Amino acid sequence: MIATSRGFAKRWARLAESDQYSLSSGSRVAVIGGGPAGSMFSYFLLNFAEITNLDLQVDIYEPRFFTHCGPAGCNHCGGIVSESLLQRLATEGIELPSHVVQRGMESYTLHMDVGTVRLNAPGLEKRIAAVYRGNGPRESEPLHQISFDGYLNELAVEKGARIVRRMATAMERTGDCIEISCADGHHRAYDLAVVATGINSHFVESVCGSTARIRQPKKTTTFISEFRLGRSMIEETLGNSMHVFLLDIPRLEFAALIPKGDYATLCMLGDDIDDELIQSFFRSAEFKQCFPDAIVPPHACHCLPRINVQTARYPFDDRIVMIGDSGTTRLFKDGLGAAYRTAKAAARTAVFHGVSSRDFENHFWPLCRTIDADNRIGKFVFSVSGLIQKARFSRRAVLRMTASEQAGDSPRKRMSEILWDIFSGSAPYREILGRAFHPAYVGGLIWNLAASNWPSARRRDSETAGQGV
Amino acid sequence: MKLWDRRPQTSRSETDPAPDAPDFSICPEQLQKAPPCQLHCPNSGDIRGWLGIIAQREKTGLSLEEAYDRAWRRLVEFNPMPATIGRICPHPCETACTRSDKDEPISINAMERFLGDWGLQRGLRFTPLDGPGRDESVGVIGSGPAGISFAYQMARRKYPVTLYERSTSPGGMLRNEIPSYRLPVDVLEREIEKIVDLGVDLQLGMDVGPGLSLEVLRQRHRLLFLGMGAQHARGLGIPGEEGAGVWSGIEFLRLKKEGRQVSLGSRVAVIGGGNTAIDSARSARREGAEVRLLYRRSRDEMPAADQEIEDAITEGVSFEFLVAPLQIIRDDQQVRAVEVQQMALGDPDATGRRKPVAMTGDTRRVDVDAVIVAVSQDPEFDAIPGLPLDHGWLKAGDDGRLGAGLWAGGDDRGLGIASLAISQGRHAAEAADAELRGSGATPGSEDAATARDQVKTDFYQPRLAVHPPRRPEEAWLSDPDAEITGTLTSEEAQYEADRCLSCGLCIGCEQCWMYCNAGGFVRLSQAETGTYYALLTDICEGCGKCIEVCPTGFLSPRPSEN
Amino acid sequence: MADLGRLYKDGEIIVREGDSGDCMYVVQKGRVDVVTQSGNREIVLRSLARNDFFGEMALFERDLRTSTARAVGEARILTVDRRTFLRGISEDPSLALRMVRIMSHRIKDLTARLTAYENTPQTGST
Repeated sequence: MIATSRGFAKRWARLAESDQYSLSSGSRVAVIGGGPAGSMFSYFLLNFAEITNLDLQVDIYEPRFFTHCGPAGCNHCGGIVSESLLQRLATEGIELPSHVVQRGMESYTLHMDVGTVRLNAPGLEKRIAAVYRGNGPRESEPLHQISFDGYLNELAVEKGARIVRRMATAMERTGDCIEISCADGHHRAYDLAVVATGINSHFVESVCGSTARIRQPKKTTTFISEFRLGRSMIEETLGNSMHVFLLDIPRLEFAALIPKGDYATLCMLGDDIDDELIQSFFRSAEFKQCFPDAIVPPHACHCLPRINVQTARYPFDDRIVMIGDSGTTRLFKDGLGAAYRTAKAAARTAVFHGVSSRDFENHFWPLCRTIDADNRIGKFVFSVSGLIQKARFSRRAVLRMTASEQAGDSPRKRMSEILWDIFSGSAPYREILGRAFHPAYVGGLIWNLAASNWPSARRRDSETAGQGV
Repeated sequence: MKLWDRRPQTSRSETDPAPDAPDFSICPEQLQKAPPCQLHCPNSGDIRGWLGIIAQREKTGLSLEEAYDRAWRRLVEFNPMPATIGRICPHPCETACTRSDKDEPISINAMERFLGDWGLQRGLRFTPLDGPGRDESVGVIGSGPAGISFAYQMARRKYPVTLYERSTSPGGMLRNEIPSYRLPVDVLEREIEKIVDLGVDLQLGMDVGPGLSLEVLRQRHRLLFLGMGAQHARGLGIPGEEGAGVWSGIEFLRLKKEGRQVSLGSRVAVIGGGNTAIDSARSARREGAEVRLLYRRSRDEMPAADQEIEDAITEGVSFEFLVAPLQIIRDDQQVRAVEVQQMALGDPDATGRRKPVAMTGDTRRVDVDAVIVAVSQDPEFDAIPGLPLDHGWLKAGDDGRLGAGLWAGGDDRGLGIASLAISQGRHAAEAADAELRGSGATPGSEDAATARDQVKTDFYQPRLAVHPPRRPEEAWLSDPDAEITGTLTSEEAQYEADRCLSCGLCIGCEQCWMYCNAGGFVRLSQAETGTYYALLTDICEGCGKCIEVCPTGFLSPRPSEN
Repeated sequence: MADLGRLYKDGEIIVREGDSGDCMYVVQKGRVDVVTQSGNREIVLRSLARNDFFGEMALFERDLRTSTARAVGEARILTVDRRTFLRGISEDPSLALRMVRIMSHRIKDLTARLTAYENTPQTGST
């Protein structure tokens, strides 16, 4: 009797708690940061709320205007919307209009010291979008287009979110609410606070520790710069292709040159990117060859944004959830895709389950863990590809295998698919690794290792590979 | 300095980049710039500074009272009479305010008045500057704004100061000409009292001239300052001007201020377009007369403050533009009319205003019982021979120096607003002090102007200005001496101070700190108004983002070293 | 200004009835007619515009295309791969929410058209 009543009381308490931690009509939600994660969270939250007849008030705190040219209105990133994100957004009914897309990509061009090879998308379809995260680099002319972030802001506002042009600087738990305070002294209480600040601001620091038991994500430095070449020069030299560099430069993980409208964006990922690393990349013949007369022009602007390389533990608490880069992201690639996935998972949890720590743990954290686990595999994939980069004979094999796949019409282009997925961030690293262990792939690689390094074949290959593009 | 040089890589220089290659990194420097309000204030007041003390009080840990006290102290470093100037200044600072690009300029003049009244209410006293007392005796002739300003600046520098005033009460033009409905006498008196409290020896009824010669005063004092104003009203030089029924503006206003009855009759013509003309017209309305203001140019060229013109219209003053008086028609000594010449606007003159030209033959009669002439004033030096003059005005250097031990400021050097007179008194005091100490001239603010586009007005919340309360228009004439405009409330003053964009100086908005990836901005443990972050230049990555987000324009690109 | 997907010329076939397929298509720009052959006659099943999708059945079942899609004027079409789609809904079933809603509209529309057809006098059979 006593046992049952205690059990009942417990269940009742839990029910009451879940009620206390659920959003109801009139609930207020603060989204700190109006980048893609923040806008997409607001969009989906309001979408789900609409379906379930919930009337929510969503305030997005974003002091910057993504309609301004130059760094002030920019969110510092290469600006690639991956194949998988583009397809998922299309399924959701969110298209990227032509005034948002700087260039549609139909191929990857892989640059190595042993040669250059191009991987084409099926049917030369433009499956990847190059966008600006702000309204163009410093000193660019006013564009008749808007940034990706600005466009997503618009979508969120159309759904009913309100953009508060203030800079949130602190977050504090007061009773049943989270109070957001701004640099200008403004403050307001909310039922749910969503941290979507990325990690290139100090907001996460001010949240972690005091308000929630959240450990910050780990970060590393990347290098991004913009080269002004002019539209016609870009068409001529770079085309609608992402240029990827696999070079044997110590500490360089990956570099890509992304053609946009009048500019090309260079992204470099690696360990402790510094002056020396950047200089040695700029001096490489492979990079110089991408420019007219093999001269790297001065660039219009540059930045060294940090990226998340390890998930925050744990990116949630009662009434607090961290999405996008400030919580979890995909290692090196498709950060925008991860922002979409975490934003949507958090929105789903908040509307259909609740906003308690437990709700997020049950319905949001599993996705973060999946991404996290996949990143560990990703680290392995990158270390293997790093090994390949380091040895000239293996680079030659990769080049040969890819070139012959692209030239021939064999039904399975195993090497090309693996490279495509690594570069585009379209498939989980787990899946890539699975395919890399496929006997047919391994066999093909061994055969190409032998063939490309056979003394007579080497000469012939280097001749043909040079003309591969 | 930079993590990486954005130098173009050329095939010519494989190993080392060309030595003359430009560095494209954009690193910030914290460079205070002069705000437009300060640049347009004749007295170069640190408006941004005292508004900032109030606006940023929470960041600097001040209570509201402490903030007001401090703001008052900052304000009175430049202007010892904020309650007075806060009531009468035509505030060119507001016209220049960057905020007018966004919504409305800050109500700077009303804020100055608020702080001035705060100082009076709280009984705040002037404090002398640090440093040893001085024994060089200073004499100041004239207790108008220039003389008061000079006396105050010297007294706070611990000089023994004697202030000579020829009339029986101090204040000069401020006391004698500004009508009570704009400036109550007790406000002026209480502000002058504070200056006397600082140790200034005020001697009334001392007229410099045959009885008290300049030579005697020069022997009595180590240095003298002349702030005698321009007390001689200029006439029109037309027939019928001499005689009863015609007053000069300053004469009429003085009589009114002294509470004397002036019999104007029922119709009055006021001639002129400046502030004295408007004050005269409005004061004449208060006598119950029907008032016409005759001006030879058009409304656009009127030098009087816009608000004053508006208020005069509200009070029923009628304006006739493009008319020049030809003669005052009298009948048996009694003024009957003014004959006026119709004018038209011609080409711009030296002041940039379009010059009126007579439309020959087109004249008419304006019937009136009295005429008040307020066209201009001149200084009078008949009783003090030997002063260096230029076209009748004192010929002083930019710092106010007339000659050895002799300084000047205010209207005796050329007509201007009170704020300019205060500025000239202050500059002369600074220069005289530097000379006496042998320390060389103290350089004024050398800050470059804040460029309009350096201030990112988007960053600030849109908020319209609050304006001080005013009495209902119907009551203006029925209670003719009562002040029309009131003082802002404390809440309004806080709101208004918060609106200041702080052009060219840090407000601690935290954006540079928030967005710097390198961690180049370090919060100072002891924050002060305008100073919140230290900048670590050696770790700057040169992306330039902080410069572009800095709303005030305080951060600007640091010139490259080569 | 740049576009995504693949450009089809006026009249160009995007998918052909009877082909095998493993993707769905989303119209980015222009118009697409979905048609089928009935005897010698071509019936336009649906006319599609921006943001509409077609070929979605290939995402759910491995079957041959049941109708033909053709560009009307120039059209830009983006592909959604079965692999991406299935990976997506396994992680987030709400991804299919919009599709389900539109497909249910289409069923409603087809039912209405079928009812209308049943109610018309069958002139051909008499």
